[in-house]
Amino acid sequence: PRGGGGARGGGGARGGGGARGGPRGRGRGRGGGARGGARAGFKGGKKVTVEPHRHEGNWDGLGYTGRDWDGLGGDWDGLGGTGGCPLPGVFICRGREDALVTRNLVPGESVYGEKRISVEDGDTSVEYRAWNPFRSKLAAAILGGIDQIHIRPGAKVLYLGAASGTTVSHVSDIVGQDGVVYAVEFSHRSGRDLLNVAKKRTNVVPVIEDARHPHKYRMLIGMVDVIFADVAQPDQTRIVALNAHHFLRCGGHFLISIKANCIDSTAPAEAVFAGEVKKMTAERMKPQEQLTLEPYERDHAVVVGVYRYWVVLGCTGPPPKEK
Amino acid sequence: MYIGSKSVSVNLVLFKIVCCGFFPLQVLNEKKLQEVDSLWKEFETPEKGKETAFLVFLFYTASTALVEGKLSKNLKKILKKIVAKDAHEQLAVADAKLGGVIKEKLNLSCIHSPMVTELMRGIRSQIEGLITGLPSREMAAMCLGLAHSLSRYKLKFSPDKVDTMIIQAISLLDDLDKELNNYIMRCREWYGWHFPELGKIITDNLMYCKCVRKVGDRSNFASSDVSDILPEELEEDVKAAAEISMGTEVSEEDINNIIHLCDQVIEISEYRTQLYDYLKNRMMAIAPNLTVMVGELVGARLIAHAGSLLNLAKHPASTVQLLGAEKALFRALKTKRDTPKFGLIYHASLVGQSNTKNKGKISRMLAAKTALTIRYDALGENTSAEMGAENRLKVETRLRLLEERGIRRISGTGKALAKTDKYQNKSEVKVYDPSGDSTLPVVSKKRKIQEVDEQDTEVAVKAKKFKAEMKGWLLYLCCCHVIVCIVQLGLLKLNYGHSCSFLL
Repeated sequence: PRGGGGARGGGGARGGGGARGGPRGRGRGRGGGARGGARAGFKGGKKVTVEPHRHEGNWDGLGYTGRDWDGLGGDWDGLGGTGGCPLPGVFICRGREDALVTRNLVPGESVYGEKRISVEDGDTSVEYRAWNPFRSKLAAAILGGIDQIHIRPGAKVLYLGAASGTTVSHVSDIVGQDGVVYAVEFSHRSGRDLLNVAKKRTNVVPVIEDARHPHKYRMLIGMVDVIFADVAQPDQTRIVALNAHHFLRCGGHFLISIKANCIDSTAPAEAVFAGEVKKMTAERMKPQEQLTLEPYERDHAVVVGVYRYWVVLGCTGPPPKEK
Repeated sequence: MYIGSKSVSVNLVLFKIVCCGFFPLQVLNEKKLQEVDSLWKEFETPEKGKETAFLVFLFYTASTALVEGKLSKNLKKILKKIVAKDAHEQLAVADAKLGGVIKEKLNLSCIHSPMVTELMRGIRSQIEGLITGLPSREMAAMCLGLAHSLSRYKLKFSPDKVDTMIIQAISLLDDLDKELNNYIMRCREWYGWHFPELGKIITDNLMYCKCVRKVGDRSNFASSDVSDILPEELEEDVKAAAEISMGTEVSEEDINNIIHLCDQVIEISEYRTQLYDYLKNRMMAIAPNLTVMVGELVGARLIAHAGSLLNLAKHPASTVQLLGAEKALFRALKTKRDTPKFGLIYHASLVGQSNTKNKGKISRMLAAKTALTIRYDALGENTSAEMGAENRLKVETRLRLLEERGIRRISGTGKALAKTDKYQNKSEVKVYDPSGDSTLPVVSKKRKIQEVDEQDTEVAVKAKKFKAEMKGWLLYLCCCHVIVCIVQLGLLKLNYGHSCSFLL
């Protein structure tokens, strides 16, 4: 079925990637910039442009000044602000419809039947895969305006709750060949699909084990930089904490997707999120930002935080507990 | 950095790297181990890590045993060596269960504490520096390979579970049957030119072919011995018929061709039985519960009809009941008639052994339980046939209850007695009707009046009503008149003589 899905995706991209009139002008302007924005040239004059994802936020020192350099002024990309920190590895495709895309690690293959967009970059062509925010919590968080996902090219990611590997494939696209994604999934049926994804992508290490017992797969995983958890279990904070104690480096980050219904279906969502945040702080995990996933999911939130943050600050240990 | 479980001793640190082996490391500075929280600092850089731990030796081992917390042979060997050297040392383990096993088998005391976890973290982060002679690329590749093989082992991806085999096998079975039938008919016809009586005597196809193959020309029947193919009395008949047969003579070549055809038939028959056995085995392996419920052939046909076992599992029980009767179903739905009650399920043994009246009910019950077993087979993890046996028992019990004419109610608790009507003696005494005695036409007046009346029923009713009303009024008036007369007579009596004539 993967091959058939791929063919569908390719056809869809050709049919749907068409920019009309206006964006072309901007595209030319952007093409002159030193950002690596690429021009598309399809037969029939359908043009689509892909540029790195950017949004309003703190300058994180990656060489981006955030000024209004293309002279158009104002909110030209609709995401608010004229500059901001980019999420490396994540792109936005502008065309008739805008889409969040990642660069395909395995060109020509579609993992779950998603649209693929081919863009000419000089004489080479680069392929991008569309990322559906309704199916992926990470995409929903990015489109919701999360500040930092910490998953970047070259990072080592531990992905708990990998399911059939749809979001895992996008994470694998982002981290590239230098990074590794350790995908942990307990269900056998989803595990089979995950294995198929891992066969095609060599930076995905599949682990068919219960995430509650990290010591059972300790021999397969080294230290990681980021933990992404989408497990939907009532004790998920404990699971993430256990895995963090085993595998997450000091100063590493974690992203937890919380489904309020799953933790406690009677309590209001905000109370559930607050409870989870409290549990996290008790386990030496400091939450830094929380974002709800409206309009893509209901009563869902993503919490981003840092593990053993005192390493970053240069301290020798955690601050003394206040009496 | 791909590290297996690490067993750490207070002085000795034992590493297990997944594909590479065990690496016992010696902890040089014991004091640092006391402070759990600051341990991470010791492993910040490879150099610092080296200060704290020192590589001793390494071995190769398998990791599946590790996952289950069991002791593999190599691990035992290494640990024995350690025990021999430093028996009083304590071994720290990352897996508490493994620690227990080690202690029990090798008498080596193990500890498992937060300090151990911290140590493990440190080692894990600096594994590259600590282990010399292993490039990270190779470690990465080995780890990936191990992860894949471990996952496959977990998923137990076996080729037994592929249901395409079933679909192909059952289709081939049907094809073979058709072909076999064609060939046998041809054989009978062809040989029938030469020896027609044989066709009538031997009804079994395979027997016929074997016989023809053995004997060939009918003149050989008297001399040949066909007792291993035919029973006694048939043999006699055949031999007798061979003498007086009215068929034509055929040449050697023709007989050879017929014998070739018989060879083919026999071969195909044998292959068919083999294929049927293969199908039975496959069905038991892939869908044991379904096989127990409805049998191999019906189960295989259901799977083939639906396309795959997973597709079949998605159908509701009502569809499972009617799979195979789609033409009848939609025809009945279009013309608003009664829909069929069973499809392929009709050929299941449970439906076959019930009465005609109960076939519909049993087919419905069987379809309901069969749908459950199909889902269990398609999506469940186990491969036992217990669930199918239980369900079959339930359906058989229901069948028995139905056959006993529902003395007890089936629904509800099943213990209440079915309600029957109270017996009332309706004695019908037949009386002799004499009107049939005479054959003369009887014309009675009553009938005529009745006829007339019946014709003017409405008018008559109205007239009756009117008459009744009038009668009523007349009666009322007479009464009044009578009362008035009495009153006046009374008055007359009082007024004596004068008004007497007045009234009268």
